[in-house]
Amino acid sequence: MLKNYFKTAIRNLWRNKTFSLLNIAGLAIGIACAAIIFLWVEDEVTYNNYFTNKDNLYQVYENQTYDNQTFTFAATPGLLAGAIKEEIPGIKKSTRTSWQNRKLLTVGEKGIYGNGLYVDPFFISMFNLEFIKGNKTRSLDQLHSIILTQSIAERIFNTTDVVGKTVTFDNKNEYIVDGVIKDIPQNTNFGFVEWLVNFEVYFKENEWLKSWGNNGIQTYVQLDEKADKKAIDKKLYGFIQTKSKEATASPILLSANDWHLRNNFVQGKQSGGRIEQVRLFSIIAWIILLIACINFMNLATARSEKRAKEVSVRKVMGAGSRMLIFQFLMEAIFMAFIAVLLAIGITALALPSFNKLIEKDLALNLLSPLHYISLLIIGLVCGLIAGSYPAFYLGSFNPITVLKGLKLKTAGGAAFTRKGLVVTQFAISVMFIICTIIIYFQVLHTKNRELGMNKNNLINISQQLITMKQVGNMGLHFKTIKNELLATGAVQNAALSNDPAFQVGSNSSDFSWKSKNPAKEVLISMEWVTPEYINTMGMQLLAGRDFYQDGSVDSNNVLINETFAKLISKNPADAVGQIIDRDDSKLTVAGVVKDIVFNNVYGSAAPLIIFDDSKAKNTAVLTIRFKPGSDYQSALAIVKTVISKYNPEYPFEYKFVDDSFEKLFKGESLIGTLVSLFAGLAIFISCLGLFGLAAYTAERRIKEIGIRKVLGASVSGIATLLSKDFLWLVIISCVIAFPLAWYSMHTWLQRYEYRVSISWWMFAVPALIALLIAVLTVSFQAIKAAVANPVKSLRTE
Amino acid sequence: MIKIKDLEKIYRTEEIETIALNKLSMEVKEGEFVAVMGPSGCGKSTLLNILGLLDDSDGGSFVFNGIEVANFNERKRAEMRKHNIGFVFQSFNLIDELTVYENVELPLIYTGVKTADRKAKVEAVLDKMKIMHRRNHYPQQLSGGQQQRVAVARAVVNNPKLILADEPTGNLDSSNGNEVMELLTDLNEQGTTIIMVTHSEHDARFSHRIIRMLDGQTVTENILV
Repeated sequence: MLKNYFKTAIRNLWRNKTFSLLNIAGLAIGIACAAIIFLWVEDEVTYNNYFTNKDNLYQVYENQTYDNQTFTFAATPGLLAGAIKEEIPGIKKSTRTSWQNRKLLTVGEKGIYGNGLYVDPFFISMFNLEFIKGNKTRSLDQLHSIILTQSIAERIFNTTDVVGKTVTFDNKNEYIVDGVIKDIPQNTNFGFVEWLVNFEVYFKENEWLKSWGNNGIQTYVQLDEKADKKAIDKKLYGFIQTKSKEATASPILLSANDWHLRNNFVQGKQSGGRIEQVRLFSIIAWIILLIACINFMNLATARSEKRAKEVSVRKVMGAGSRMLIFQFLMEAIFMAFIAVLLAIGITALALPSFNKLIEKDLALNLLSPLHYISLLIIGLVCGLIAGSYPAFYLGSFNPITVLKGLKLKTAGGAAFTRKGLVVTQFAISVMFIICTIIIYFQVLHTKNRELGMNKNNLINISQQLITMKQVGNMGLHFKTIKNELLATGAVQNAALSNDPAFQVGSNSSDFSWKSKNPAKEVLISMEWVTPEYINTMGMQLLAGRDFYQDGSVDSNNVLINETFAKLISKNPADAVGQIIDRDDSKLTVAGVVKDIVFNNVYGSAAPLIIFDDSKAKNTAVLTIRFKPGSDYQSALAIVKTVISKYNPEYPFEYKFVDDSFEKLFKGESLIGTLVSLFAGLAIFISCLGLFGLAAYTAERRIKEIGIRKVLGASVSGIATLLSKDFLWLVIISCVIAFPLAWYSMHTWLQRYEYRVSISWWMFAVPALIALLIAVLTVSFQAIKAAVANPVKSLRTE
Repeated sequence: MIKIKDLEKIYRTEEIETIALNKLSMEVKEGEFVAVMGPSGCGKSTLLNILGLLDDSDGGSFVFNGIEVANFNERKRAEMRKHNIGFVFQSFNLIDELTVYENVELPLIYTGVKTADRKAKVEAVLDKMKIMHRRNHYPQQLSGGQQQRVAVARAVVNNPKLILADEPTGNLDSSNGNEVMELLTDLNEQGTTIIMVTHSEHDARFSHRIIRMLDGQTVTENILV
């Protein structure tokens, strides 16, 4: 019996190659797309699974309240980790870590930048690092110990057999390799790590870490398996106050299971995070699968009349309805599995580009039980969903009417269902297109906003400017370096600053001025620059003057931005000459600059104060402006010779500021690209379905068309007649899609302070696109039917 | 074998009622070859559908092989049908995707005959119908007469007690038509009961008895043998 079904199925597929191809290809594309999304989801939800202690690991966050608003930071005091391990029962281990550091590692002539962390030795066992070489238990117990990952060890030494060898760290200290660990996987919080150095080194060089009031490093803890988490939470919350009365921060724990996906905080409470994106894309995956299944149903039922005879003959021969339903379900499942096989191929081909797009390393890995079982389930579910409707529809045919050659009554229910399915598909497609357009324009709108500076022809050089606690060569020799750069003729200006463009890392609420409400704390961002900065960045002075360029001291004079000036006086120009107090020092506003965009490209400007730092004590970044129209290749080569002269040990690294700007939009651009990809797929699959449905309708109305033609209807008249109905379906889809798309995009845009306004054409254009595509799809069939010889079609009756 | 009394079939739409069978009574004995004739719309096909257990009646009694089947539901009818009745249609109704062999095999599959037995039975009947050499061809590759021979083979492969033929020669030329009629006569001589609907007086003459119908009732019966 099964063999017979199978045979009929294969021969049916083979005989109707176009139809089978449409049907299977549609489903395969849908499955491939869903498979890729699910691979990504898997990667996201298994983040940090590499750490086998995951369930007992926590990071310490701190709630800090200003002006009734609670902010949550990952920064903690340097003494916290040791103290809580000693004093709070249930905390088994703890470690401090610095923020991600980028340092120069040198062996002989070879210098390589590596990212890494300063950590306490407990880090090794808490995150169960796997040692390839060296002793796990005694690692990092010396101040001059360093652990390297396999890949950086191979890059520096060309081997991992390096325990006991010496590495020069940051061009300063000699460290001895204590161990080589396996690379930590990318889908963990520490995937960037290439080296680890004992935290005490960092602690010694940063005196301020010893204060309970300063929050500057990260703290991780591992709890006992049987620990009472609630009791620990309670003790922890007031812990810092037991050490220092003035400190305001209250530590809380965030489970390792939440580090990646649920690390947003609102008013001190955990509130979502990346998990929302994961959910969104999971839903999209299911929607695309659904569209593909709908397609399958539509094409299968539409073609059912051709198989009505087979169904009837089988019934007369003794097949029951149930047997027939079973037959068609099996057939659908069989096709679904062909689609799955095809989808595996598509996925394998598409995955490398997708990986590049999302900067991940997803692998098909068919041997993983989760993967092949999921594929089996997807095949089965798609087959069942896609086959159910056609199976019941076909199974319920009345054999007498069919065998007698009578036309099936236009099954009103079936036609309605089919139309409903098409409307669903197109509504989803139109929604995706609208979302694509709005996301694209939101990004474009923000990219084109007034930046307050000129980002072109500008590079940032970060690495070699300062070393810990001391001014590096670049800072010491800045004046000479600048003059040499200017003398090359390629450079227009150069300046040092504390942060690279679009970032300001420091802020303080210690400032006050005459018109300030003393009860209200205002957070002011702070930047330290050399006097050339305003000119180099292309910032605009609104009032007052720039810093003195001739070397005169400006130590008590500051520049402020427009937003800050408005806090001081209604008219920003009147802020010039006003006094700003900070602790004991009095600062005079020398000038007001136009707002520049920093930290949040979608946000409005925050108040900013700029200090003159001619001695380069607080600077870490060199900004160079090339002359307009200069050839970057040669300009960079010239700059490289000058910089390398003063910093021979450090490989030359630079970033174009406009590239950094583009990177700020990475998240949004990625979502935009993905949504547009899905929009394209959705509409493609929907069109396959529409194509099939149009063919079906044309076939079904073949007699009507014949009669109309005999009576004198024109080809265009008939093509219009056939297309019109489908266009209505698309219009109904738009009516459904518009409010849904508007609502979701309106909600999405609320996240951004600087946002594009939604306008009517963002809906009209997708509707037109959908209509146009539908017309093209349908008219092919309609015209084919309309030009056919009517005599032929009438004879088929 | 078949006893029908006061059988009624009424087709209803919202506006009109059409009486297809009007208290029709008839009897067919085992081994008989009966032809049913009459103008279009007289109820021949309705009668054949009910006799073939493809359709149900709206009143009256239908005893098949001593069992009252008038009130059988669809599942029971299907069960009765597949073991006892073979069909031959005007338009052959072979499944295009299956070969000659597979088409003939189909009823055996649905009655649950084992594969090995199926092969023997199908080959025997194909041999008898002289289409063994065409066993691996598809219906479209055959002439009309050959297709109808396949259809007859499929109807008899299960050894049904009754064969219902609905204008079996309607789509055939006269020589092919005669061949099919001779096949049916042979089957009847071997003991199968045959009821045939036809417009052709020539074909009707192959039967033992002609039942003439008008407006859902039998009007005359001619006994030929």
